[in-house]
Amino acid sequence: MPNRLKAATVAATVLILFASAPRTTLGQTPPDETFPPYTPPRTADGSPDISGIWQSFTTANRNILAHPAEPGEYPELLGAWGAARAGQGIVEGNELPYQPGAAERQRENYENRMVVNVTNDPRRFDTGDPEIQCYRAGVPRANYMPYPFQIFQTPDQILIVYEYKGASRTIYMDSDQAAPVDTWMGWSNGHWEGDTLVVDVSGLNEHTRFDRAGNFHSNALHVVERWTPVSPYHMRYEATIEDPNVFTRPWTMSFILYRQVEEDAQLIEFNCVPFVEELMYGPLGFTSNPDPAPED
Amino acid sequence: MSIRVVVSWSVSMFVLAGTLTAWAQVPGQTPPSALVNPRDEEALEAAREASPRTGQETFAYFSDEVDEALASAIERVWDPLRPRPLSLRTAWGDPDLSGYWLNVAYTPLERPDALADQPLYTIEEAIEEFQRRVLADASVDPATVHYDWTEFGMDMWQSPIRPNRRTALIVDPPDGKLPALTPEGRARLQTQARLDTLESRSLYERCISGNQGPPGIPFTQQTGEAQIIQTPDHVVLIIQSNSDVRIIPLDGGAHLPENIRPWLGDARGRWEGDTLVVETTNFHEDRKWRGAAGNMHLLERFTRIDEATLLYEATITDPTTWEAPWTIEFPWPKMEPPGLFEFACHEQNYGIINVMRGVQTRAGEYEVGLEQ
Repeated sequence: MPNRLKAATVAATVLILFASAPRTTLGQTPPDETFPPYTPPRTADGSPDISGIWQSFTTANRNILAHPAEPGEYPELLGAWGAARAGQGIVEGNELPYQPGAAERQRENYENRMVVNVTNDPRRFDTGDPEIQCYRAGVPRANYMPYPFQIFQTPDQILIVYEYKGASRTIYMDSDQAAPVDTWMGWSNGHWEGDTLVVDVSGLNEHTRFDRAGNFHSNALHVVERWTPVSPYHMRYEATIEDPNVFTRPWTMSFILYRQVEEDAQLIEFNCVPFVEELMYGPLGFTSNPDPAPED
Repeated sequence: MSIRVVVSWSVSMFVLAGTLTAWAQVPGQTPPSALVNPRDEEALEAAREASPRTGQETFAYFSDEVDEALASAIERVWDPLRPRPLSLRTAWGDPDLSGYWLNVAYTPLERPDALADQPLYTIEEAIEEFQRRVLADASVDPATVHYDWTEFGMDMWQSPIRPNRRTALIVDPPDGKLPALTPEGRARLQTQARLDTLESRSLYERCISGNQGPPGIPFTQQTGEAQIIQTPDHVVLIIQSNSDVRIIPLDGGAHLPENIRPWLGDARGRWEGDTLVVETTNFHEDRKWRGAAGNMHLLERFTRIDEATLLYEATITDPTTWEAPWTIEFPWPKMEPPGLFEFACHEQNYGIINVMRGVQTRAGEYEVGLEQ
């Protein structure tokens, strides 16, 4: 069988398997029976209304796979402040289907997650977790970082603004426009399937990662997101991840988003650029606050 | 304005900066024109001779586009005195401001001294002034150009920018000038000079914000595209420069506590007839601009004048900096979609490294000069 045909058959089989898998196997999120049947309110144009401020309460930003509680990066300085909670992960089956060699790269990424070496060329992306350098988180990571995000809906565009870095992405509804160029937050085309917003995300660059644990992808990453409101205050998020350069098959993640309901809830700017200038540019001697010059 | 416009900007600008530096480091190779000291006439002349392109060639390449921009100028003159018909409405009855708009202007912030008694051009003068600006923009000196915006379709004249009868953005005070600085404002201005530390460089160079001054006052001739997203309870303003996003709630809630000071301030909006009125306070104390810092109170008024025009008015009040409030006004012409693209400034800020190396080299030269 020619390779391409074989790959297509495998992909088709995988898709069928996914399609027929019972919902209850997806990650650690509750099955649909957790929530009674729910019909979300409608926007002016009749679409399900998912606008508002949402946040995941997973620990997946540290590791999308299951992980124990840890003392953190500098326990001698930060004690329990710097420690991290355990988490059961958000990946179906708690396993990432890395190709040979890719798991090794993930371990290297983890080892080097705090190595920052800023250059004026793309070599700067070879080191360090993007989050430590205040780079945009990409999709899907932006959706499970420990920061809220806000959804704004219009009939032809849905805008998501993330508190982390003030990054935003526009979901073009019923559009078949292809990504004009690779970007950090990618290119999103969406449509409604019943009460589920289905978003096809492509054009993602290879510089973002899935978590601080070094789980990674290439710029062949293709994400299909499913956003389903399941109560006035909860939304199920599911994503199918494909990357033929890194993984042997597509895999899925799933978790619940919670609505912020405080009366004064609003996104408050988290512009981390000034917070990383010393880390990134101090070693180059550009900041005013390196080691104080010896006084004569 | 086409797709290539902003895509080229976000991808190319910093890559270009990196490439130029790498080139400069190859011994024995002719430095590219961007590295020529613009004050050294001899070096400039040599660079022009060595350049594969000339200003005339560049201009000739774009001449059809330039002709078209100039020919349509007369239809696009912004005349603040003309009648303003009722605005368009959204499905739920609010004035409809949504779409892509262009927040750049050829009009200077302050009125030039030569026009002291002339707040308005005649229509003919406005077109002449516009033509002068377009021709200056579209001509490129290959010896001094850093980034040839024209090539990327990013010069202002390649956008829907319009000739303006106003001779300055400032409409109040009536002399078109910023009010006098207070003693405190003057003292602050002294400390706001750009030095050879990163922290003294502009918010734009550091990729902290797309604008140094209050949002809405154009400081650049590029990437001033804006998008307004509108829902019944929010207006969101996205600015292309640095992809700055301003979320404006319309629910009448109180401003953030005083010690929370976002770089983009804290905005609250309300409808007054056909006009969206936005009050922004709590600016970050390091948003340093012409002697002002975080105390600015920004009152903006957005009015849809017709299908293709959003009138933008802004009043800045800061008694710690200026003796009086002041107001600007100018039209934001509509742009055709697709409008905005991701501007990942900090992620690819190769430029700041070159900027800092440059200023540190200059500072070193200055020290040497003092010793001699």
